[in-house]
Amino acid sequence: MSDTKYSATSGIQQEERLLFEHAHEAPESISLPGVQGKAPSSLDAFKRKTAANIPGLSEPETVRHFVRLSQWNHGIETGFYPLGSCTMKYNPRVNEQVARLPGLAHVHPDQPEDSVQGILGLLYELQGWLTEISGFTDITLQPAAGAHGELTGLMMIRKCLDARGEQARKKVLVPDSAHGTNPASAALCGMYTVEIKSGADGRIDLDELKKHLDDDVAALMMTNPNTAGTFESDIKEICQLVHDAGGLVYGDGANLNALVGVARPGDMGLDCLHINVHKTFSTPHGGGGPGAGPVAVNDTLKPFLPVPRIEKDGDVFKVITEDEQSIGSVLSTLGQTGVYMRANAYISAFGHNHIHKIAQDAVLNANYVLSRLKDVYHVPFEGLCKHECLLTDEWQNKHGVKTLDIAKRLIDLGFHPMTVYFPLIVHGAMLIEPTETESKETLDSFCDAMLEIAAQCEAGDTQALHDAPVKPIRRRLDETQAARKPVLVWQD
Amino acid sequence: MRYLPHTDSDRQAMLDSMGVKQIMDLFADIPGEFHTKLGSLDLPEALSEAGIVKKFTKAAEKNRHAGNTRCFLGGGTYHHFVPAVVDYVVSRGEFLTAYTPYQPEIAQGTLQALFEYQTMIARLTGMEVSNASMYEAATATAEAALMARRVTRKTRTVIAGSVNPRYRSVTENYLSRLEGDYIEVPMGQHGTDLSQVIVAMDEQTACVIVQYPDFYGSVYDLASLREACDANKCLMVVAFSDVSAFGLIESPGAYGADIAVGSGQALGIPMAFGGPHLGIFTCKQKYVRQMPGRVCGLTTDADGKRGFVLTLSTREQHIRREKATSNICSNQGLMCTAAATYMTLMGDAGLETIANHSAAALDLLVSKLPSGVVAADGVRYNETVLTFASQEKRDAFINEARNNDIFAGIPLETIEKSAEAKHLLVATTEMIEEDDINDYIAAMEVAL
Repeated sequence: MSDTKYSATSGIQQEERLLFEHAHEAPESISLPGVQGKAPSSLDAFKRKTAANIPGLSEPETVRHFVRLSQWNHGIETGFYPLGSCTMKYNPRVNEQVARLPGLAHVHPDQPEDSVQGILGLLYELQGWLTEISGFTDITLQPAAGAHGELTGLMMIRKCLDARGEQARKKVLVPDSAHGTNPASAALCGMYTVEIKSGADGRIDLDELKKHLDDDVAALMMTNPNTAGTFESDIKEICQLVHDAGGLVYGDGANLNALVGVARPGDMGLDCLHINVHKTFSTPHGGGGPGAGPVAVNDTLKPFLPVPRIEKDGDVFKVITEDEQSIGSVLSTLGQTGVYMRANAYISAFGHNHIHKIAQDAVLNANYVLSRLKDVYHVPFEGLCKHECLLTDEWQNKHGVKTLDIAKRLIDLGFHPMTVYFPLIVHGAMLIEPTETESKETLDSFCDAMLEIAAQCEAGDTQALHDAPVKPIRRRLDETQAARKPVLVWQD
Repeated sequence: MRYLPHTDSDRQAMLDSMGVKQIMDLFADIPGEFHTKLGSLDLPEALSEAGIVKKFTKAAEKNRHAGNTRCFLGGGTYHHFVPAVVDYVVSRGEFLTAYTPYQPEIAQGTLQALFEYQTMIARLTGMEVSNASMYEAATATAEAALMARRVTRKTRTVIAGSVNPRYRSVTENYLSRLEGDYIEVPMGQHGTDLSQVIVAMDEQTACVIVQYPDFYGSVYDLASLREACDANKCLMVVAFSDVSAFGLIESPGAYGADIAVGSGQALGIPMAFGGPHLGIFTCKQKYVRQMPGRVCGLTTDADGKRGFVLTLSTREQHIRREKATSNICSNQGLMCTAAATYMTLMGDAGLETIANHSAAALDLLVSKLPSGVVAADGVRYNETVLTFASQEKRDAFINEARNNDIFAGIPLETIEKSAEAKHLLVATTEMIEEDDINDYIAAMEVAL
């Protein structure tokens, strides 16, 4: 009866056709406000010759359609979601409520400044808090996501080097454990990347780093804690070496949750850091986005911040649209302000008195999971982890079980799998990030499931692992077929 | 702290089980000099939930918004109606609090919604395929320019001066560190003169980017541009800022666009002071392997049942790294679900009505303009440029309108720096009623 220990069951799951397959005549058009006329005759010559063929369902059918779809999803509100480097924490409901206040949600970005002092104030306040928490001197809210922040940060680094007469520096050093966005962002900036091989402990190897430090180096992009979940304890020396070589240090803040309120990247010598507010500051990930990727900078990079940005003049908030040394704009507007409303509310709830508990409980939870699993799963890098822990499938391989099988089996037991096959520096990676909003009960249940899976491997009882998942509305999906002849739109 | 489930005894039990004395011992790998004194950050005291509501309510009350004014502002963001059902669907935790659908078996809801979104967006824009969103219209335009370079292996970008200045600025910024020319073709008449754009194209041109309807609201025939693109073997990129137009007027795809990009904010997404909005990215099927961003595709599961997955991932940064088609990772996924819900509620008929009402409102407004104010010539959808005798007259009107709870328009020079300070960019949607237009004109008559 082991399955009853876990939350996943086979409840009623409704199949739901594509809305294009709901065959009936278009329902009566919904009543719409406004000037109840037709477009002027001058537009006649430009009218569509064929209808778009958007099917249109009645309101009750629309609601049922999308509610059924929603029920096929696993979200953080549904259950445990230990995706490494993704920081899937509880998204407070009050943040949703306040972000929807009409005075925040229905404000046009080009309203006169005196009509938006309230929202400018909230954004300005958040700028200060994020700067303080990360330990830098200023920040831009413009980047729309982490990768966008990387691009923005590298643009600033490029401009800073150019201002120093160092146009020739184009080499960006990236550890082999880095997120794929790092090299992709560098390429967009007209720079090229050189991968630094991690040391035996999964950290940056200082001797290896030194080999690459020459007159071509523009920057080092690093994530700390790194994607193996361990802290780069040589951080001060790393930054010093890069600076001595004439380069700058870019911080990927995807893993900031390990440090909030406990330590500040800006104090460690980094020149800038992007912050994934949809991770660390709990704005919902929405099935892919929206996020926000503000970039905090030190005095070296501050002159190059993008415009527009908010400044305070006495009691009045102003939007600065031009600045001599600025890299310019990376977005149409000030940023994803709706996302920032939620981040402001989140930090408000913690204040200076509780903010460090985010990192404390996140790190406690990850180490607890590690300690419960380390005897049955291979741990590639010994020692403390930070907010996430890295395991591999090495010991399960000899029973013919791979990371993917373990991940899919977890689904049948009611858990979202961990991040799989990342970082790339170990074979069969399983990166587990429990976050601070999970109870001990949930962590224990997850660890029990992982131990049970390992025991099934040892017992040679692996069929359920290979068959998994069997409980969701769909079983393993054929990704090869999808990519070979892509069908990306429905043909009636 | 209410978002943290552990009691102190939980924490202690966990530490005991690990043989660790105190939590901060778990941070021993961070050098002591970098430890922040706990509680020392310069942040305010924690607020209760009630305190948060109070704080945000107070801040929100300091703002004016489209609910307590009449909003004639456009320029890339439009006050269209957001049905309650759209907000309800995107508030559901299963959509709201899911990550990117990396585990498709337990993300079929997000994936099917994305597939439906892609299908409806492709149909609305007249294009063959759509991706699963970019951040917003400016970055989508920049990504289109980058994609055209990959497809054509050429490096010259030509863009019309009647493309939204913000889209141009971001596109130029994205291209400025890469090899190749970026050519802006000035457009002086508050409209688009395609012949000038065509003259600027040559055989080295990777793409030409125009906006339709353009930044000034002008609607024009793109047929000659398609011919010129064929002659120069370059891609035709069409940007747009209010996708609601294509409920009524001919789509970019019908004109033969290779790539069409723009804002989908009109599709049930609040203005939210500039974001999160929705960046639409569509193209021809034959270019799909050079397309940036995530895309959802149809497949089958182990039992042969139809299902959906993220596909063509070998284009993307987590596989291809520095050779990826884009660095984008997080996108605007939830906005796709919102737009899919919105389009389902509207259908063809609703979308056409929205477009009709939006255009009819502008037509009515222009027909009532008093002497001394001139609307730009040409065919318009829901946006145009009004020209006043002087900046003083224009600003007097803006202020008089404000006194009547009307945001009359965007002073053109605040977006288009080269514009004379006597123009006003004005936009209408189905949220503008006849009474609002009467009040608008009345304020104009008082001010002039």
